[in-house]
Amino acid sequence: MPSPASDALAIDARDVAKTFRSGWLRRRETPALRGVSLQVRREAIVGLLGPNGAGKTTFLSILATLVTPDAGTARVLGHDVVHDAARVRRRINMASGRPSFLWSLRVAEIIAFYGRLYGLAGKPLTRRVDALIEQFELTTHRRAQYNELSTGLKQRLALAKSLVNDPELLFLDEPTLGLDPDVSVRVRQHIRDLRRERGMTIVLTTHYMREAEELCDDIAFIKAGRILAHGTADDLKRQIGLGDVIAFRLDRAPEWLGRAPGVLRCVSADGWVECTVDEAEKRLPELLRAFYGEGVEVRGVQVREPELEEVFVELAK
Amino acid sequence: MNWRSEAIQVWAFVVRNLLMASRNLFFFFELLFWPIVGVVSIGFMTRFLHLTPETTSFVMIGTIALSVSQVAQLEVSYAVLLDVWSKSVKHQFMAPIGMRHMTIGSWLVGMLRGTIIFMVLAALGWWAFGFNALAAGPGAVAIFLFGCFLNAWVVGVAVCALITLYGTRAEAFAWASVNLVLVLAGIYYPVSILPAPAAAAARTIPLTYFLDAYRAHYGFASEFATPVTTGLALSAVYVVLAHAAFLLTIQRARRTGLLLKLSE
Repeated sequence: MPSPASDALAIDARDVAKTFRSGWLRRRETPALRGVSLQVRREAIVGLLGPNGAGKTTFLSILATLVTPDAGTARVLGHDVVHDAARVRRRINMASGRPSFLWSLRVAEIIAFYGRLYGLAGKPLTRRVDALIEQFELTTHRRAQYNELSTGLKQRLALAKSLVNDPELLFLDEPTLGLDPDVSVRVRQHIRDLRRERGMTIVLTTHYMREAEELCDDIAFIKAGRILAHGTADDLKRQIGLGDVIAFRLDRAPEWLGRAPGVLRCVSADGWVECTVDEAEKRLPELLRAFYGEGVEVRGVQVREPELEEVFVELAK
Repeated sequence: MNWRSEAIQVWAFVVRNLLMASRNLFFFFELLFWPIVGVVSIGFMTRFLHLTPETTSFVMIGTIALSVSQVAQLEVSYAVLLDVWSKSVKHQFMAPIGMRHMTIGSWLVGMLRGTIIFMVLAALGWWAFGFNALAAGPGAVAIFLFGCFLNAWVVGVAVCALITLYGTRAEAFAWASVNLVLVLAGIYYPVSILPAPAAAAARTIPLTYFLDAYRAHYGFASEFATPVTTGLALSAVYVVLAHAAFLLTIQRARRTGLLLKLSE
């Protein structure tokens, strides 16, 4: 029996494990997930980050009822993904950055086919197909066959298809993979709109850190089948302890700078000295005072947080 | 169970398969070219061998049954094959549908295509070789065709099960499975001439009984007491078994991750 607290969760996964086995004579075992726990509140956008083969797609597929877990439990919108899969399927959908549909069906026909699978027919189906085609700017391509579409159009079609049942929870597997920057921007805007206008919960995997930082309320970092870190982008940066970066443009770099209190490391590049410090707010005045005392002229200062990419690199090591 | 929703979900596969069939030259070959080549070549062979009209009708009934069954069976196999070829398997299996929607929808299109090919081959057999495939009357033709379609449904679902068990490696079964029927079900010869073990195996194939019943209208003594009833009963058992096998292989594919692999 789910608790009231778990009712507020769109996803409640606990200790989910999955090992893929292959080969008849020589059995091979590939552990994909080794006890993943993740709670996602409703109407959140959550990103799953991690290197290739980390288990992101497997985890998403378990939540989408395509793969059954070996151990652990996963509840989606209050329903168990194994024992109550049919109820889960009615309320979720998925789009992939590598979409594939029947090659000779037309755009409108593909959306209509999947609409029928969710029980839509007649005028409601026609209205839904028309609305999605318009929303994803596919009007001029509605009679184009799938194999005639560009990558960007295929991805927009995949997004349109994924909304055909008006899902409460949407899984997006690398939704902007291989898209031109302008198309990626539009797709990200669509994703934001889905949450704002429909209150949809969205779980996405991506390799683009900027995308994750821009879109996601929470980010879970998966590596080798385990969640290594989970929280907001700022939380992750703090958890990893990468510190802040203070970049100075100086007339000369004093040799003690790398050993100064709170300074973790210093790197020189393009006339700037980039010092990674434990806490910029505390260390910047101290360093400025020290420069002044030594007669070092400070010509420029920039303070920035570490990029999420640096967190990714650190965690992926 | 919501019957309207059930019907819509079945209809989804009917529309899909019809659209795919209408836009594919390869499907045209399946529908007309090979069946016509089969009837024409067998027809000429009957002439070369100077077969009597009765024996010719025996062989032609088998040839037509084989073509009709294969066309309908391939369509049922497309319930899964089309998605495997287009790597869109996961979309189908994460939708709230059952395998009955996939197989019945595809079977309905298979019956339509099977009926068309029967009419074409019947016309060709009559025009080229003087064989009247409709001589048994509409009731007998309907039962015969329904028997062929049931056989096709069973084999088609079994092929779907094999594909969800072995992946694309099992594709060949979609075309090869008909050869088993060809040898055992008495397409070109009576089951009674088969060696005892093969004859026993033939008696487990529903098409054997429907062929026997139909040929009885052309003057051949029936080898079985109640061929239609037996054929229908066997078909019902196999339909249930084939769907159970398909269900088990889908469950296994969810465990092994094959559904994902087939979408990559």
